[in-house]
Amino acid sequence: MSRPTLPNPSRRQVFAGVGSVAAAAALAACGGNTGRSGGGSSGGGSGSIAQWYHQYGEPGTEQAVKKYAAAYKDAKVNVTWVPGDYDKKSAAALLTSSGPDVFEYGNGPTIDMITGKQVVDLTDLLGDAKSDFTPAMLARMTYQGKLYGIPQVVDLQLMVYRKSLLAKAGVKPPTTLDELIDAAGKLTSGKVKGLFLGNDGGAGVLGGPVLWSTGHDYLTKDNKPAFNNPEVAGALATLQKLFRSGNLLLGAPTDWSDPGAISQGLCAMQWTGLWTFPQLKQALGDDFGVLPFPAIGSSGKQSIPFGAYASCVSAKAKDVEAAKKFVKWLWVDQTDDQLDFAQSYGFHVPSRTSLIAKADKLKSGPAAEAAGFIAKYGHPQTPLLWTPTSSTAFTDAMDKIIRSGANPAKTLASVEATVKNEMKRFA
Amino acid sequence: MSSVGVGQGDRRAAKVARGIVLVLLTIAFLIPFYLLVRDALSTDQQINNVNGWTWFPSNPQWHNLIDAFNDPSAPLGRSMLNSLFIAVTQTVGVLVISGMAGYGLARIRVRYASAVFYVVLATLLIPAAVTFVPSFVMVSTLGWVSTLRGLIVPGLFQALATFLFRQYFLGFPKELEEAAQIDGAGPWRTFWRIVVPNSWSFVAAIATITFIGSWNAFLWPLVIGQDQNSWTVQITLSTYATAQSINLHGMFMAALISMVPLLLMFLFLQRWIVAGVEQTGINE
Amino acid sequence: MSAPAAASDSAGAARSGPARPAPSRRRWTDNPHLWFWVFVGPFFLGLAIFVLIPIGWSIWLSFYNAHNTVTPTEFVGFDNYRAMLGDPAFRSSLVTFVVFAAFIVPTTFVISLGLAVLLEATSWGRAFFRSVFFLPVACSYVVAALIWRHGIFTGISSGLANTVLGWVGLDPVPWLSVVHPPWYWLVITTVRLWLQVGFYMVLFLAALQRIPRHLYEAAALDGATGWKAFRYITFPQLRTTSTAVLMLLLVNAFQAFDEFYNILATPGGYPPYARPPLIYLYNIALGSVQDFGNGSAGAVILTLLIAVFALVQGKLTGLGRSES
Repeated sequence: MSRPTLPNPSRRQVFAGVGSVAAAAALAACGGNTGRSGGGSSGGGSGSIAQWYHQYGEPGTEQAVKKYAAAYKDAKVNVTWVPGDYDKKSAAALLTSSGPDVFEYGNGPTIDMITGKQVVDLTDLLGDAKSDFTPAMLARMTYQGKLYGIPQVVDLQLMVYRKSLLAKAGVKPPTTLDELIDAAGKLTSGKVKGLFLGNDGGAGVLGGPVLWSTGHDYLTKDNKPAFNNPEVAGALATLQKLFRSGNLLLGAPTDWSDPGAISQGLCAMQWTGLWTFPQLKQALGDDFGVLPFPAIGSSGKQSIPFGAYASCVSAKAKDVEAAKKFVKWLWVDQTDDQLDFAQSYGFHVPSRTSLIAKADKLKSGPAAEAAGFIAKYGHPQTPLLWTPTSSTAFTDAMDKIIRSGANPAKTLASVEATVKNEMKRFA
Repeated sequence: MSSVGVGQGDRRAAKVARGIVLVLLTIAFLIPFYLLVRDALSTDQQINNVNGWTWFPSNPQWHNLIDAFNDPSAPLGRSMLNSLFIAVTQTVGVLVISGMAGYGLARIRVRYASAVFYVVLATLLIPAAVTFVPSFVMVSTLGWVSTLRGLIVPGLFQALATFLFRQYFLGFPKELEEAAQIDGAGPWRTFWRIVVPNSWSFVAAIATITFIGSWNAFLWPLVIGQDQNSWTVQITLSTYATAQSINLHGMFMAALISMVPLLLMFLFLQRWIVAGVEQTGINE
Repeated sequence: MSAPAAASDSAGAARSGPARPAPSRRRWTDNPHLWFWVFVGPFFLGLAIFVLIPIGWSIWLSFYNAHNTVTPTEFVGFDNYRAMLGDPAFRSSLVTFVVFAAFIVPTTFVISLGLAVLLEATSWGRAFFRSVFFLPVACSYVVAALIWRHGIFTGISSGLANTVLGWVGLDPVPWLSVVHPPWYWLVITTVRLWLQVGFYMVLFLAALQRIPRHLYEAAALDGATGWKAFRYITFPQLRTTSTAVLMLLLVNAFQAFDEFYNILATPGGYPPYARPPLIYLYNIALGSVQDFGNGSAGAVILTLLIAVFALVQGKLTGLGRSES
């Protein structure tokens, strides 16, 4: 059973016959263009590469990536723009030969894609440019000395606040968790809440920041669980209290990843991402400032998470070498396109550090300050060996502690068991 | 005398009470449709008005309707045509395939008929999501990804429809068929000339259920319809919410438009549908 | 309406009658196997390819270590089953389902029966009200969830539910954010009720119309009207319909997925509460976890559970009898 089970040939032929009748009717009815455009991967024409992106929210992005692809001389590149749950869709497609040749994936391929040999080694694509990429980012996508993704652009999460509201309430931008809690209270008045951490009270998004700001991490350098300790439990207990304090905005029409809550005046401070800055600037002008997640406890230090969609090459690609060549061309060599992609549509930091200096929009104001956070406070979102199973267990625990009032220490201990069990798969 | 008077008063009171309850329930059932229309004609700020409740936008955004068809990244018109074609083909296919199978299971006596029937019943209990990935791999091995074939063919074999047809045909008056057979009609002609023409309202009911299911299907078209040209209307709907943000007014408008074909069908087929649902056979 | 009434008898007595009039050339009986497969064959072939083989494949996967592959090679016996049964999150998803079913099945049953009885007793505008209650059946879960989440139960004060609270002087509630009290159940159950009750109401209406009038007239002479008439005549007469409706409701509840997913999932993922088994398995197999071994094992466990429920309910209510 090394290949998928198939119905026996005669049945399949009968069936394909039925199918072609339907397809013929379909062609007649719908103008014919129902296959993959230009005979993409299923057409199997040599010299054609199927490339997948998730659906970026900003207008113009889709046209831009199609423009880059069209400029590639050595092969025809068909871009597929994928709405909905991109991770599920691309993961399912990778199981088959009708999947993409080149695809992006958040923070590079998962560890199981690497050990399952679904993606290929891209180490040799960087060449001299290697030193130009943020090292922590490359390390995140490297397993046993081999690189499996080329970071496209870097995104980061951080706190934004309304300068005017803080000034009016006489509150200084908070740098410790205690100051943040205090500020949230002082800034809450009537319909305006002090702080917005997402509609789940930060359970989904603050895992990393809480760990780093207490001076800990998901895993130690040698991949042992590092999150189960009294400081983290204490910090989560504080967030648990904050959830019930009435100073936190809950049930907002949009979530933390959208600038809606703070720009509509529902809150004074919000956890969000760099990508919201164009809209924030439009709605609030200069009335907003940026902060990292505050430090927690005596040994803590402020922190922010950063991550990158990375370009990967499927092991099932029709022509792996051609696909790799295209990835090198676009995401290593074409610095103009990279700069355009980073700042013309959404709002990202180029992954090549030499380009950051050239990005006009990152030269001044809150955006420049935010871009500087990567070097000062930045941590890659999650470690490579932090598998989706570990991640689900940890996020579940955050949610149970913050929203349902579960005991932090006990809950973290049970996550530790799950993570240790998961680590055994890679021992 | 007095007792009769009280009885009539009671009955009138009960009538009034029933009327009031029905009107209140009608309002409750229609509110979601009202919100759908209101929000489709609003801006995002009006939908989530921070200042309080609005009954209806004072300046309805009629251009939302036109915008919905002019968004290159959400091809509503194209995807509605796809959905329409898929739903019609699937409905016709399911009626023929399940209708014949239901008739065979109800009428033809072979040893293994009940075994086949129990297999069909058993598949009803198994959640579709369970077999999703193997199905996807098989369809993609056939090379059907992003084709209408891949979207349509796997949906043609509906155990529920077959089950309902069987139950219905069990109750079909046998005298009609016997008369046809005396006239020399074989099973094939008996089925198409006698049984089918006498079952239109039941067929209409199954057609409706199948059409709705096909029109509203989400997960399968999402994974199979990789190319934008093969998106169905539910996939297009889902593009209004991206990982970062959500275009609320656009999504409400597209949702409203996406319901129009179904509502039209309801208006025209209403009588048949209700009569047919009443005969689904599970009443006996 | 007379056709189904004659149904069970003629089916029961099916073709045992010996002397039928002059057999025609092509009766079923001449070649039943051929005709059976002519009629059932196309359906069964498709079912085999698109349903039965995938089911078999899933069962096969459940005995393998299958991370990110559907053609695994490492046989692990019952390890996946042990892992899933030992997984507290999976067990709690089963509990979630039982709680949900225990509420939604009887509630949908009572409301749709109530609506049917109410309509049956009404003389004017019956067709209109019936259409109104049936209309939501045309709505998709995606659209309904959109209306519920962003129209009715938004957390801000101008959402419909919070506006109503405001009229009676209560503070706005962030319906989907708080866990104590679990308001999210209100959101999830109301959307399902709205979408479903119309369909079952029509089934009950049909059954109600077939109850012979004279039963009520006789009962009225004995003084049994109103509730008593319902309790001793209507309800027993609806037994077969009730059985079927209960079964459909139970299977539907087990398959609950769409409204949960569309209402509760956030950019951060799906929360650990109100997570029915299908959502949890979907995340394991189809989601980023891509563990088809455990996902399939969980699916087999779930299917066995559904089958047990269905059998027990069938035994208790006698659905099997009308089937034979």
